[in-house]
Amino acid sequence: MESLVVDLSQYLPILIFLVIALALSAAFVFLPMGVARLTGTHKPDAEKLSEYECGFPAFEDPRSQFDVRFYLVAILFIVFDLEAAFLFPWAVSLDMTGWPGWITMMVFLFELAIGLAYAWKKGALEWE
Amino acid sequence: MEFQASLALVAPELVLSLSGLALLLAAAWGGDKASRLISILAVAALVGAGFLAAPALCNGASGPDTLAFGGQVKVDAFAAFAKLLIYLAAAASLIVAPAFFERVKAMRAEYPVLVLFAAMGMGIMVSAADLVTLYIGLELNSLAAYVLAAFLRTDERSAEAGLKYFVLGALASGFLLYGMSLTYGFAGTTSFAGIHAALAGDMSKGALFGLVFVLSGLAFKISAAPFHMWTPDVYEGAPTPVTTFFASAPKVAAMALTMRVVVDAFGAQVQAWQQIVMIVALVSIVVGALGAIGQDNIKRLMAYSSINNVGFILIGLAAATQQGASAMLVYLAIYVAMTIGGFVAILMLKDANGEPVEQIAQIAGLSSHRKVLAVCLAMIMFSLAGIPPLFGFWGKFLVFQAAVQAGMVPLAAIGIAASVIGAFYYLKVVKVMYFDEPANVAVGKSDWAHQALLAICAIFISPLGYLLTGWLGGMADKAAAALYFVG
Repeated sequence: MESLVVDLSQYLPILIFLVIALALSAAFVFLPMGVARLTGTHKPDAEKLSEYECGFPAFEDPRSQFDVRFYLVAILFIVFDLEAAFLFPWAVSLDMTGWPGWITMMVFLFELAIGLAYAWKKGALEWE
Repeated sequence: MEFQASLALVAPELVLSLSGLALLLAAAWGGDKASRLISILAVAALVGAGFLAAPALCNGASGPDTLAFGGQVKVDAFAAFAKLLIYLAAAASLIVAPAFFERVKAMRAEYPVLVLFAAMGMGIMVSAADLVTLYIGLELNSLAAYVLAAFLRTDERSAEAGLKYFVLGALASGFLLYGMSLTYGFAGTTSFAGIHAALAGDMSKGALFGLVFVLSGLAFKISAAPFHMWTPDVYEGAPTPVTTFFASAPKVAAMALTMRVVVDAFGAQVQAWQQIVMIVALVSIVVGALGAIGQDNIKRLMAYSSINNVGFILIGLAAATQQGASAMLVYLAIYVAMTIGGFVAILMLKDANGEPVEQIAQIAGLSSHRKVLAVCLAMIMFSLAGIPPLFGFWGKFLVFQAAVQAGMVPLAAIGIAASVIGAFYYLKVVKVMYFDEPANVAVGKSDWAHQALLAICAIFISPLGYLLTGWLGGMADKAAAALYFVG
């Protein structure tokens, strides 16, 4: 139970870094705006405020709706991607976790398999 | 073998998870036709889990024998008490659901499965003995709850409720995680017992921040003011059976979790959290009472009523004694009965076409055409207000008694004064039902399951409930003793 009391002064550099980063990034954003206002180059008109798309007029509103099925596929991808992310550390530390570790992971995979079976049966894997 | 003993301790969770997985597959292959059967099986699973959890409460289990998985989980009498309430509330919200959802042809087989998973998450919450277990249980419950809130997905209000609950719930989880990371940083451990040992003596500023953030996150989950703003919108928008569930089971789980965290993990720093809990309790009572006055939707009114009641329950926590914890548990049990009764009565308010009636103005003169329903609803309102012959008074009495015996006379006095404000809007509902011109809107027939459930709740909160005070108090005392067990 040693070194439970954390010496906060060790983290002072990070705090200073954060303060400087905040100050600098704020300056980068607001200084040009202020300078532009003061030097009189701030003359917006309809053309300047319109969207710029490689020299063409914008074809459509960029905030268009997209199919919810993309979302479903992305979610399924995340689930199985995370499963793989769990499997790597489990595989290399199997000599330390032993049989309980193996069984636990098999239970986890079994649960995921049930989820997959459910999604499959419900037609989540089919595009149409 | 230690592993087997651990598995035996978490048997209720095993039953719920295995039956949840099996029913999930049944839901996929059986389709929505099987929803009634799956609901029945889910209720059976909850009853089975309840029987597995009950012995720990009856034996007053506490101490090292109740620790499972290397001290991650603590299955003592306190956890068992909370679990039984949670399973009861979850079963009730399963029983009332089919009649409601089938009318709009939205009864899906996933509803009971989600409730099962939520109940399992709440079981983990109340038996957590480690910050990581706490978070896993909380998220398991919350993720199921977000989906449940948006269960009528073609209904705009339900979808809005789900989205609001999701965004604000995620924010609360962020608060909680930030507080947990600070606590871990200053205590050097995530186990409650370890945090208790590490924070004995002087508390550093950083650990105090951790405590404040953890308490804020938990206050979101119990919908205590000033973190209550999501409650009325979610309770109004969510389908009524889901609201029944939200107002009962997760409240019990989050409240029990809060008790466990402040007693087990921050028990050495009572001074620090006592002030916060006192303020939160008083603000909740006042906000709940004042906010309810202008409401014309009865579900929103019940939401403010639940904020108000959470405030009263927290007064028991502010006392920071074993007696206070016991009083809170009794109050929670009565509160669950009142809430389920109240929402079942709301579910029974239907017009001639079976459409739900939610406006208070529409139930005017209910006593003239639905006498029994009006009597039950009036009893629930009187009980929520804490007016003596009804059982709701007993919970308030115990909580205030604990506060007074802990030397907090001003807190109790302010609480009692504020409960008078609360009585105003409860009595308004009764007045509308009994003395206003009949609106003759809520004339629809009700399901027998609703009537039976309402009858049970009404009998429990009626003066007959006082026959149970000895038994209920004894159980709550065992649970509170397990919570405060030092060993």
